[in-house]
Amino acid sequence: MKEQANSKSQEGRATTIRKTFSRETSVQTTIFADPAIVWALLTHESDFPRWNSTVTSVKGAIKEGGTIELKSTLDEKRTFKLTIKEFVPEKRLVWGDSQGSRVYTIDKGTGGGTHFTMSEKIGGPLFPLFASYIPPFDESFERFAADLKKEAESMQNSKS
Amino acid sequence: MTTDQLTAEFETFQGELESFLLRMTASVQDAEDIVQDTYLKTQAKIHTFRGDSSLKTWIFSIASNLARDLLRSKKRWPETITDICREETLHNRQFFQEALQIREMSPQGKFEIKEHIAFCFTCVSKSLPLEQHLALLLREVYGFKVAEIAVILNQTEAMVKYYLHVSRNRLIEIFDHRCSLINKEGICYQCTELNGIYNPKQKAQEELVKIEMARDAETKSKEELFDLRMKILQELDPFESGAAELELHHLEHNRQVMENHLEENQ
Repeated sequence: MKEQANSKSQEGRATTIRKTFSRETSVQTTIFADPAIVWALLTHESDFPRWNSTVTSVKGAIKEGGTIELKSTLDEKRTFKLTIKEFVPEKRLVWGDSQGSRVYTIDKGTGGGTHFTMSEKIGGPLFPLFASYIPPFDESFERFAADLKKEAESMQNSKS
Repeated sequence: MTTDQLTAEFETFQGELESFLLRMTASVQDAEDIVQDTYLKTQAKIHTFRGDSSLKTWIFSIASNLARDLLRSKKRWPETITDICREETLHNRQFFQEALQIREMSPQGKFEIKEHIAFCFTCVSKSLPLEQHLALLLREVYGFKVAEIAVILNQTEAMVKYYLHVSRNRLIEIFDHRCSLINKEGICYQCTELNGIYNPKQKAQEELVKIEMARDAETKSKEELFDLRMKILQELDPFESGAAELELHHLEHNRQVMENHLEENQ
C-alpha cells in the first residue's frame, strides 16, 4: 500500500490513503544536496525549529534507541513523546509511538539529486474512534519537505 | 623532511595556530601547551605525512584533535557569557586594579573597541557545539576551504557544510539580538562601556565610525555585518595587537568566571 501511495504522489505534494483502521500520509521530493546534509538536518534535534516551519521544538536525542519530545504546529499544546525506532545513517530514520510511526528515507538518486520520502501511518483497532480528532497531515508534510529541500540545497550551494 | 625543514615550515604558521587555539580554548596556557604538543607530535609522526593535504592542514588537524581532547569533557559556554561575566567584574575590584595597571604600564595595554569586538566573539562563539566552533573558526577566520576542514575534522565535506551553515546562522542571530553596535535594540554595549572606563577622554561615537561594521550597521544585511565582524578577527592577532595584554587579562578573568559558573550550575 505504501508503494501505491508513493507512486501516486507528485513531487513535493502529499497524498493520504484513508482506511477504516488506519491513515497513511506520504510526501516525496528530490533534493539537490548530498544525503549527508539531509541526514544532518534530520538528526540535529535542537536545530529543527530554525529551518523547519512545522516543528516548534524537539528535545532529547535523535540517535539509535533515543527518545524525543516533539512539539509541532499541528497541535501546539501537545507534546509528542517518541522513540527512535530505526536509525540507519544517511538512509532511513523511523520514530514513533504506539499509535504510529514516521518513516524518513533518503536515497542517492540519479542526476545528482537525493530522493527523500516521508510517510506516517497511524492506526489500530481504536482508530475509528479518534480519527476525526486528528488533523490532516498533508499541508504540514508538504511544508516539511519544502523546508528541508530549501535548507539542504542552500547548504549544498554555500561557498566552499 | 628534516627536523630543520619541519621547524622552519611550522614557524611560518605557528602564530596563526596559536591564535586559533586561543580562540578555541579561551586560555593562553592551554593554547601554548597545545602548540607545543602539536609540534612534538608532528615531529614524531612526520614520517606518516604523505602529502595528501598541505603540511599546514595536516598540522592543524593534529592541533584540532588535541583541542578536541581537551574541550570534549568541558561544558560549552552560554551565549549570555558577557552578561554573566560583566556582573562578576563589577564586584571584582582586583580585576579593575590589574586592568588599569596594564592600561598604564604595558605597551600592549591600549583599549580599542575593535579589539574588544574580537574578544567578545571569542567568548560568545564558545556557545556553539564544539565541532561547529572548530569548523567556523577554520573557515571564517583562518580561511581554510571546506575540503581542507573536512580533512582537519575527519568529516565529510557535506557535514562540514552543515556545521558552517548552522553555526554562522546561529551567531548571526545571537549578535543581532545582543550587539548594540549592529542593532539599536541590542542589549550588550560592553565594548563602548569599557571604552568609557579605559579611555575616558575619547568619544565612543567617533571611535565607532572608524569601524566599518558599526558605521554601516543600518545599510548592510545581517550576513554582511557578520562578514565584517569576521574581517576584524582575520586582521587581529590576539597575541600581538596593541591591546593584547589587556584583552588576554580580561579573557582569563572570563574563563575563570565561566568555569566557576558552569561548576555551580551543574
